[in-house]
Amino acid sequence: MGRETMTMDRRTVLGLGTTVVAATLLAPGVHLIAAPTRTEAKEGRRWAMLVDVNKCSTDCTACTRACRVENNVPIFGDPNRDIHWIRKVEIRDKSHHRPTVTLPVLCNHCENPPCVHVCPTAASFVRKDGIVLVDKHRCIGCRYCMIACPYKARSLVYHETSFPKDGNPDVPIRAMGVVEKCTFCVHLVDAGKQPACVAACQNSGEASMIFGDLNDPNSEIAKRVREVKTQTIRPDLGLKPQVYYQGL
Amino acid sequence: MVWLRPVQMLLIFSILVGMIGFTGFLHAGSAPELEKAKGENCIRPTEWMRRNHMDYLLHQRELTVREGVRVPEESLRNCKSCHTSRARFCDRCHTYVGVAPDCFQCHNYP
Repeated sequence: MGRETMTMDRRTVLGLGTTVVAATLLAPGVHLIAAPTRTEAKEGRRWAMLVDVNKCSTDCTACTRACRVENNVPIFGDPNRDIHWIRKVEIRDKSHHRPTVTLPVLCNHCENPPCVHVCPTAASFVRKDGIVLVDKHRCIGCRYCMIACPYKARSLVYHETSFPKDGNPDVPIRAMGVVEKCTFCVHLVDAGKQPACVAACQNSGEASMIFGDLNDPNSEIAKRVREVKTQTIRPDLGLKPQVYYQGL
Repeated sequence: MVWLRPVQMLLIFSILVGMIGFTGFLHAGSAPELEKAKGENCIRPTEWMRRNHMDYLLHQRELTVREGVRVPEESLRNCKSCHTSRARFCDRCHTYVGVAPDCFQCHNYP
C-alpha cells in the first residue's frame, strides 16, 4: 500500500514524458505565431521572367529607367564604369532578312550559376527560391564573377555613391568596390509584388515582360513557357537560365 | 648616481599614472546623452539592447540576405520609428566608445 502511494505508475510517467516532449516541439511554433509578419524565401519556388521580344519596342526604356529608380542605381557618366542591372540590347540582321529587334538583358538567375561557383568568399549565392544574389557585406570586389558571367550582367562599383535625394529608402545604396547585379527586386518579390522593370513594362502598355513562379503550374509564366515556343540566351552553356525570350 | 635611479623610475611611473587618472577625470561624467526614444517599448529590454544590438543586427542581416527571412518589426528600418535621428542616437554613443560601424555607408537612416 505504502509503496503504491510513493511511486508513480507507468502510465503517469509515460504521460509526463509525452507532455514534456510535446512542449519542447511546440515551443518554437508558439514563438512563430507570436510574430505573424515573418516571411521567408520558400523552397520549391522558381522565380522566372519571360520577355516577349515582339512586343518590346525599339525606343522604349521603361524597364531600365524603372530599375534605376527602384534600386538607386547611379549613373557615373563613364560608359566603361557605369552600373547596369538591366540594359536594352539591339539585334540587327546584317542580311536584312529579319527585322531589327531590341530586348532587355539582365541577370538570368541561372540554376547552375557560374558566378556562384567562382566566388571565393561565398558572397554570391543562390537563394532557396532560385534567385541569385550578391551578399555585398561579404563581397571583396575580386570580379571573378564578372568574368564568369556569360551575360555581362554584373558591374563593379568603381566610385563612392551617395543616397539620391528622392531615392528609394527600401533599398540600400552600395559601398565602393563591390560587385552588384539585378536582384529580381528581391525586396518587392518578398513582399508579394512584381519586380520594378516588369511593373513598368506592364504600365507602359507594352506588356512584354511577365514574372512569376515557374514551379506553380497555374501561374501565367508557367502556362506561357509550356504553350509558347521560348528560348534562353546561350542554352548551350548548360547554365539553365531563368529569363525566357519569346520570338527571339 | 645609482641611488637616484629608483627615484627617477618612481617619478616617471607616478607621472604616467597621473596622466591616465587625469584623462579619466576629464572624461568622467561626459557619457553621451542619447535622444529619448519615441515609442514606449523596444523590441527587447533596453539593457539587453545596449549590450547585444550589434550581434542581433548582424544575425538578422545574415538571415535576411541569405534566407530571405523578413520580419519588418525587427528590421533596422523599423528602429527609425522610435530612434528618429542617427546623429543624436546611434552616432553619439558610437563616437564616445570609438567604434565606426559601416552599416550606414549603404543603409539609409536619416
